[in-house]
Amino acid sequence: MKAVPVPSRSNVEANAAPVRKPVAAMIEIDQVSQVFRTSGRQDHLALSEISLTIGDGAFVSVLGPSGCGKSTLLYIVGGFVSPTSGVAKMKGKPITGPGPDRGPVFQEFALFPWKSVLGNVMYGPRQQGVKATEAEAQSRVLIEMVGLKGYEHFYPKELSGGMKQRVALARTLAYHPAVLLMDEPFGALDAHTRTRLQNDLLNIWERDRKTVLFVTHSVDEAVYLSDKVVVMTRSPGRIKEIVDIDLPRPRRRQELLLDPRYQKYVVDIERMIDDTSEEALRP
Amino acid sequence: MMSGRALVSRFAALLACVGLLLIWQFAALMLDTDSFPTPWEAIRAIPSILGDKESLINILASLRRMAIGFGVAVAVSIPLGLMMGRSRAVASFFNPLLMVTYPVPKAALMPIIMLWLGVGDLAKMLVIFLGVSLPVIFHSFEGAKAIEEKMLWSGAAMGLSAAQRMLRIVLPAALPEILTGCRTGLVLALITMVTSEMIARQSGAGNILFNAMDMGQYDTVYAMIIIIGAMGIGLDAAFERLRARLVKWSEPGFDIPLSFA
Repeated sequence: MKAVPVPSRSNVEANAAPVRKPVAAMIEIDQVSQVFRTSGRQDHLALSEISLTIGDGAFVSVLGPSGCGKSTLLYIVGGFVSPTSGVAKMKGKPITGPGPDRGPVFQEFALFPWKSVLGNVMYGPRQQGVKATEAEAQSRVLIEMVGLKGYEHFYPKELSGGMKQRVALARTLAYHPAVLLMDEPFGALDAHTRTRLQNDLLNIWERDRKTVLFVTHSVDEAVYLSDKVVVMTRSPGRIKEIVDIDLPRPRRRQELLLDPRYQKYVVDIERMIDDTSEEALRP
Repeated sequence: MMSGRALVSRFAALLACVGLLLIWQFAALMLDTDSFPTPWEAIRAIPSILGDKESLINILASLRRMAIGFGVAVAVSIPLGLMMGRSRAVASFFNPLLMVTYPVPKAALMPIIMLWLGVGDLAKMLVIFLGVSLPVIFHSFEGAKAIEEKMLWSGAAMGLSAAQRMLRIVLPAALPEILTGCRTGLVLALITMVTSEMIARQSGAGNILFNAMDMGQYDTVYAMIIIIGAMGIGLDAAFERLRARLVKWSEPGFDIPLSFA
């Protein structure tokens, strides 16, 4: 029997290159449940036996009402939270903790406030041992890509919410994660900024087609961006339905809004969510 | 041409000082006792204190004790406070100890400490250490506790180990709060320094003050109060400049001095 090759630096870089060896399942979530123990009150079952497979290069959204455990699912894939039972795997290996192969982008931005925009974006590559000059050059390219050229030396407190989220995206892309984990990334932004960031995210994603797990409570956003929408129910969080979004790419927002297929997806999914909230109200 | 209001706000600090001196002068003239000199008499005594070699050595010895007590306290308290802020176990171990020691005036421990360590430098530095530690621990603790979990998660995803996250995320993120604690600690160091020298009278600024009191040199007593106060203002201002430089990233984007105009 041949030994399983240990992933070396060169392997990791090969994965980041445009020509990638296709991996059938990037992420497998197998029978994952999460129970939160609360003092005094009853234990809260946040996720109940979730199973989900995310293919390499897929853009998958998890959609559901607040409190359905969709963010918890993302934290489990990120390795930030351990599931109470079940297992999540990345490229076939069980996830035991956070790692640079899975890059999170949070609704709260979570930028390092003592670092400039450039310092934030360079942080990951520097941590990975990339030379300062090289890391800076790469980071400047990314900062330009997210539309923040000229803001390299600004501190986070000097930026608007939309700009902060652009920095957070660049900071995560800078260390070349194989999977982007986006936790309601545009949830704290106004409608106009939100639309612009959605468009920019699609443009960036369509260039290198990273695997994306995207958590949101906006039906429009999920349908507009995703290949697949996972609709969840609340208390306990279960998968109600997985909808394949069969819309052509590259997607252009204005065309899509007029497209009856897009409209049908939105209405169908909204109905599913209505049903689930009625179920939740029933005693 | 400045408006009257702008002039007042510009020279407010100066006006306040002049006002205080006037009230002092007036009160001293009214009371007319030896134990309450006028401000001019007190100020006149300052050069003779600062010109005297022995007094200077005493004051410098005070400052040295204060610097060592403060330095050691900060070096111990910041890591302890940060660990308490990030670990529930560490916090629940040290919290009761701090709760008990917090309301105790540190100078009240001086007699016991003198029994152990004598009346020399060590006892005084220990009291200063105790006085400075609590605010620095408390603010480091609060600063570390308030850090957004997701910031640490972002660091973990980049591959930072737990120790690296402590040093490279928790420490810088909590720095504004830590320095607020250090600023309080610095003023407390000065207060404890003088108090300790009043109790264990052997040398130092507090000793000069009380010796003068014993000998009825009231102008020297008041002059020493002014000198100690000026040292406090000077140290605080210097520390504030350092603080503003270290955490300029956390300051609000505008810089308006307090005014309600």
